[in-house]
Amino acid sequence: MKLTHPLHRVHLPKICFGLLFVTAVFSCQKELHFDKVPEKDHNLVLRFKPVVSFDSVPLVLGKTYKNYFKEDYTPTGFKFYIHNFQLENTDSGKIFKLAKDKYYLVDFSDTTTMEIKITIAPYVYNRFSFTIGVDSAQNVGGAQTDALDPAKGMFWNWNTGYIMAKLEGTSPKSPTGRFEYHIGGFSGEENVSKTIPRLFPFPTNLDMKPGKESIVYITCDANAWFFQPWDIKIADNPVIATPGLLATQVAENYGSKGFTIDSVYNEP
Amino acid sequence: MTVRWTIRLCLLLFLGCLLVNACNKKSGEGNSGPHPLTLPQPAGFPAPQYSFTGNPLTQEGVELGRKLFYDGKLSKDGNFPCASCHQQFAAFATFDHPLSHGFDNQFTLRNSPGLFNMAWNKEMHWDGGINNIEVQPLAPLTAPNEMAENINAVISKLQQDEEYKKMFTAAFGSDTINTQRMLFAITQFVTSLVSANSKYDKVKQGSANFSQTEQNGYTLFQSKCISCHPEPLFTDHSFRNVGLPLDPFIKDYGRMRITNNRTDSLKFKVPSLRNVALTFPYEHDGRFSSITSVLDHYSSGVQNGPTLDPLLKNKIPLTNAEKFYLLEFLKTLTDSSFINDTRFSQP
Ligand code: HEC
Ligand code: HEC
Repeated sequence: MKLTHPLHRVHLPKICFGLLFVTAVFSCQKELHFDKVPEKDHNLVLRFKPVVSFDSVPLVLGKTYKNYFKEDYTPTGFKFYIHNFQLENTDSGKIFKLAKDKYYLVDFSDTTTMEIKITIAPYVYNRFSFTIGVDSAQNVGGAQTDALDPAKGMFWNWNTGYIMAKLEGTSPKSPTGRFEYHIGGFSGEENVSKTIPRLFPFPTNLDMKPGKESIVYITCDANAWFFQPWDIKIADNPVIATPGLLATQVAENYGSKGFTIDSVYNEP
Repeated sequence: MTVRWTIRLCLLLFLGCLLVNACNKKSGEGNSGPHPLTLPQPAGFPAPQYSFTGNPLTQEGVELGRKLFYDGKLSKDGNFPCASCHQQFAAFATFDHPLSHGFDNQFTLRNSPGLFNMAWNKEMHWDGGINNIEVQPLAPLTAPNEMAENINAVISKLQQDEEYKKMFTAAFGSDTINTQRMLFAITQFVTSLVSANSKYDKVKQGSANFSQTEQNGYTLFQSKCISCHPEPLFTDHSFRNVGLPLDPFIKDYGRMRITNNRTDSLKFKVPSLRNVALTFPYEHDGRFSSITSVLDHYSSGVQNGPTLDPLLKNKIPLTNAEKFYLLEFLKTLTDSSFINDTRFSQP
């Protein structure tokens, strides 16, 4: 008793003030958040690079190139929707999918869109797949926002649906001087959405360590739109701007050779 | 003693802090919010096509949609709000114009239909090219012969307007003004236009009676017309060719324009016949100025062709008396409370 009594007298009020202080801190926590150092919000960066002829020639909007049929063309717009990223280790069979699928519009006239940052579980992956296009649900789902905002100019207003990929510009081979490939269509045989699986260039893997960042460089080849498996000549078809056979052929072309994983950088 | 009192005081203050904190959180989250509305579900109507998921109907949302619908700001030169082609006294069709006028005195491709019971509509426009009502406004907003604007320009005009900032906040909880919210609000207003209070509806509910001629017309209608214009919406929302000859200048092939399918050539959406006495002229291009001309067409004008609807292979022969009865019945579909409803008029 003799020992504890003085203790009470001294410490209980202190504890009380302590409690008060703690509650005060909790109450103010919203404001305090602003001072916190932001945590890293991603560990994987996807960098897209426009090219012609695989990774050999960088593409610059406004410059003139030749397609497989020796047709001159000057691209002024090159963009596409991408989503549904999936990483896989084909040896262990482990597959990683993002919990919340989000759409991105890669637009080569806007550098801020040429890099996508995502967070994935650290692991060794040797296969990467993604979808070029917009799923049917979003095509019939009414007013969308963010990357899918119709104000981005990737939406057909009179026959509603998304333009999933766009390559356009000028060409002397076109009677009007312009060529326009607006590729879309989401139902049945007209569906142009393409899921593209790619292996990482041997022998590199995507080797992700906890707390470290990796970068995947993806080249996007404009020439691939015109060739293999289908021949698409500007002289014959300067404008493809509705869903249908030609749109599905162009999508097959860019789906087969239009996207390549050029290199991978793993932060040591 | 002093110790006990200090403890009590501290505890009290501590509890007080907790309480204030809790209250703070509540008031931060629940700022009264927009007031929910329910879409009227008239007797006998099926479940609406538009589900309102993601865009619940609210008083503030409808009010904002109404302002947008009547606002010339949405068009390039300020002269062509939605309401310039969709007039309330014509059940939101264009009064007395085969084709509507838009920007720069250009004509629209088609006759503007009345707007009512749109929440029950599957696909919009005569050719069904628009698969969801939320994105329908994009078509007139950007068409060079209608409002001729671009979406970014409309949004930035709205963003600069203090009144809109207030109304978007009231409807959606913050003053963000973007395409999606604008479309949501217009959709709320357009779907709130429910018309189901015509004489026909009153007869169905037992509070009015058809005259003998109206009753004769109703009987005829049920035997000759309901396969395409079924009650209570008076449309089955299908696309059909009723044998109207192709206009050689406009060359409008209707549904085929959307599907690229030859079998859809010259097919157009079956229009609702509610308020039909108000929505003249008629058909997708407004070629007939009176209902009598439409009936004459069914009776003797139907042109044969590969995609003509099989129901019309032998036309629908009608005597003059039958035409008169049908006309009298169709007039009972006019909902005068709808065209006078102040909730739908210019704010
Ligand atoms: C220049 C005249 C004009 C303006 C302005 C206009 N519309 Fe229309 N509207 C039409 C015409 C014509 C059609 C029929 C189009 C078609 O079928 O191709 C139509 C069709 C519609 C439909 C589909 C009806 C149905 O039964 O399928 C809706 C809904 C509609 N308009 C709402 C609006 C809204 C909302 C606005 C304003 C954002 C608007 N309209 C502005 C002329 C106009
Ligand atoms: C085979 C289906 C079919 C049948 C049967 C049919 N209709 Fe129609 N009706 C349509 C279609 C489709 C249209 C629009 C045609 C167009 O504009 O190209 C239409 C248009 C109309 C219109 C013009 C409405 C407007 O707003 O422009 C009226 C009035 C009409 N029908 C009345 C009738 C009556 C009365 C009958 C019975 C005698 C009848 N219909 C039978 C399919 C049908």
